[in-house]
Amino acid sequence: MSQSSVSGAYHDKLTPEDHIEILNQLYLARYFDVRLSKEKRKGRLTGTLYSSFNQEAIIVGSLFGLKPTDWISPIHRDMPAFFLKDCRAGWRNEDRMGMSIKQVCAQVWGKVDSPGRARDNWSHIGSKSKRIIHSTSMLAGTIPVAAGVVYADRLDGGDAVALTYNGEGSTAQGVFHEAINFAAVHKLPVITIIENNQWAFGTPIELEVPTKDVADRAKGYGIPGLIADGQNVLDVYDKVMQAVDWARAGKGPSIVECKSYRAYGHGDHDDDRAAKYRGKEEVKLGRSRDPIRIYKQLLVEKGILSAKDAKKHAAEGKSAMEITDQDFPPVVVDYMTEGVEFAIKSNLPEPEEGGMWVFREDA
Amino acid sequence: MANAPKTAERTTKNYLTALREAHFEEMERNPDMICLGEDIGILGGAFTITDGLQAKYGKDRVVDMPISEAAIVGVGCGAALNGKTVVCEMQFIDFISCGFDQIVNMTATYHYRTAGEVAIPMVIRGPAGAYGGGALYHSQMNEAWFANSPGLKVVCPSCPTDAKGLLKSAIRDPNPVIFYEIKQLYRDRKIEEDLHSGDDALAPLGKAKVVREGADVTLVTYGQSVWHCMEAAANLEQEGYSAEVIDLRTLVPLDSDTIIESLRKTNRIVAVNEAPMTCGFAGEILARISQDAFELLDAPPMRVTRLDTPVPWVDPLELFVLPSPAKITEAALRVCKF
Repeated sequence: MSQSSVSGAYHDKLTPEDHIEILNQLYLARYFDVRLSKEKRKGRLTGTLYSSFNQEAIIVGSLFGLKPTDWISPIHRDMPAFFLKDCRAGWRNEDRMGMSIKQVCAQVWGKVDSPGRARDNWSHIGSKSKRIIHSTSMLAGTIPVAAGVVYADRLDGGDAVALTYNGEGSTAQGVFHEAINFAAVHKLPVITIIENNQWAFGTPIELEVPTKDVADRAKGYGIPGLIADGQNVLDVYDKVMQAVDWARAGKGPSIVECKSYRAYGHGDHDDDRAAKYRGKEEVKLGRSRDPIRIYKQLLVEKGILSAKDAKKHAAEGKSAMEITDQDFPPVVVDYMTEGVEFAIKSNLPEPEEGGMWVFREDA
Repeated sequence: MANAPKTAERTTKNYLTALREAHFEEMERNPDMICLGEDIGILGGAFTITDGLQAKYGKDRVVDMPISEAAIVGVGCGAALNGKTVVCEMQFIDFISCGFDQIVNMTATYHYRTAGEVAIPMVIRGPAGAYGGGALYHSQMNEAWFANSPGLKVVCPSCPTDAKGLLKSAIRDPNPVIFYEIKQLYRDRKIEEDLHSGDDALAPLGKAKVVREGADVTLVTYGQSVWHCMEAAANLEQEGYSAEVIDLRTLVPLDSDTIIESLRKTNRIVAVNEAPMTCGFAGEILARISQDAFELLDAPPMRVTRLDTPVPWVDPLELFVLPSPAKITEAALRVCKF
């Protein structure tokens, strides 16, 4: 893996404004994570948190080039994807094809203003109108659904692609094979992102996947299996856009493996145990390539960010515990704070709602 | 030759033809309807239910799926999420277990977990039931699994009219429906009927049917067991008892009113299901009756079911474990003589 990719077919076309937006989105993804941990430590939030710390470049880089009409299906380590989708249309633009930070925070807090009215927890939300597929806890389970969504879209003359997020562990699921096999047979525009963070809860990759690269799974389907440096947002962007163009041209699905490392436990309930089942050296190495630091260096090299500006905020190279609000641009802190305050003020759903919406009644 | 006598033309149709007509009529009516299943296109289905459907509506709407039940259901769920009405065929309903997670966790819960934002109009249908030497994996009635999974409607017709009418209604329903077809009835000439077309053919979901009126005991069931209960009712008549037979037609939602209405007359009940006893649907019927209509009962409620075994292959074994008219008659006599 190269430390940086200075030139690439797709990212060369990004404007300086795009680059600053990408940097801010990386900050926002990380701040979301850090802020939730802080809220929990303060006793203002309960429940398990699944961190995307150190994997932010995968989420930001994969979403940045999508059309608003494209579909995504994030899972538990992709919470920022819900509000980062179509963020280029303006973070506070309520008409954009993504969720607002308020909605996502309301979901984290289990409040009635969540898009799913707090009926299922954490990342199990979605929006038909915003084109976000609702996941369950059963990993790889949204890949066939995504295939069906774009199958229907293609029948209707649409050109949407669907981007599903998965860990390397979920590639061992049967439905992973069934869905990608079907998508490949029908050349459907389904892109399977593999966030290879080396650990599936407490099981290392070598006990989940028999090949060196998870992308090798693609060979059995005769589809492209791309590998991106998951710590380099521009490399993720390039590889995903390559897959997106391929898909939109009617050439079919791809697998894009983004190599990364899970910074903390599976969930925060697992942080202490993860510190034991993974070696110290391994964790140190895995966290050493901070995606924010790598990107800032690139922007300095490109002359988009001055060395002075690059030092203004320092959310990189620190642990979640060490980072403070001063390490993030105020636009990021303010946006997230709006979400947190909104969620805390939002109400719990009425108890009777637990018995509602089993069936659609307007038969 | 205007006055030449016509040769007698058979106009009645079998259960299988009824299902085929439902497919053609609903595909014609709804251009957003698609069918997914193994061998349903080129071959026309293992049992020919979709024969000619792909030729008429094209391979995009009648899709020959790989042997991937989880993908059949999951792709169907996604297409339904994005505006399509989907009919998924399980080549045998036994194979539905391969798609179980996509049915009970992904599809069945979609409306619930989105607080009503999303509805999944989807039918998962397939040939079910024993009595044909199909052995363990081509004989199952696994409706209890799905009746126990909130968010799914469960339907099981016993005659051509209902096969057509209920399938058409299931396809038009905005919820996922598991639809049990009784393959032993597919080509049963004794039960052939004249069929209606279009909206006239619709049969409502959630409404049971009294198929034989009686005064002494109520036999409640669905599917193939309806015909066994009819035979038992004829036996009971020989013994001087008049049995009422109720065909539930839909298990979820359950029409308890029709059962209770019947009990007001008979005060005795036997519930029958072809599936195993433990946690089978007959037990659910008896539990509801015991709770809601205990005062109407003059005898302990009884059930007749398969033994708690798989369905074995050869005749003596298969018939040993399954319900039969004789077993139902015997149970009903005990209830009547209590």
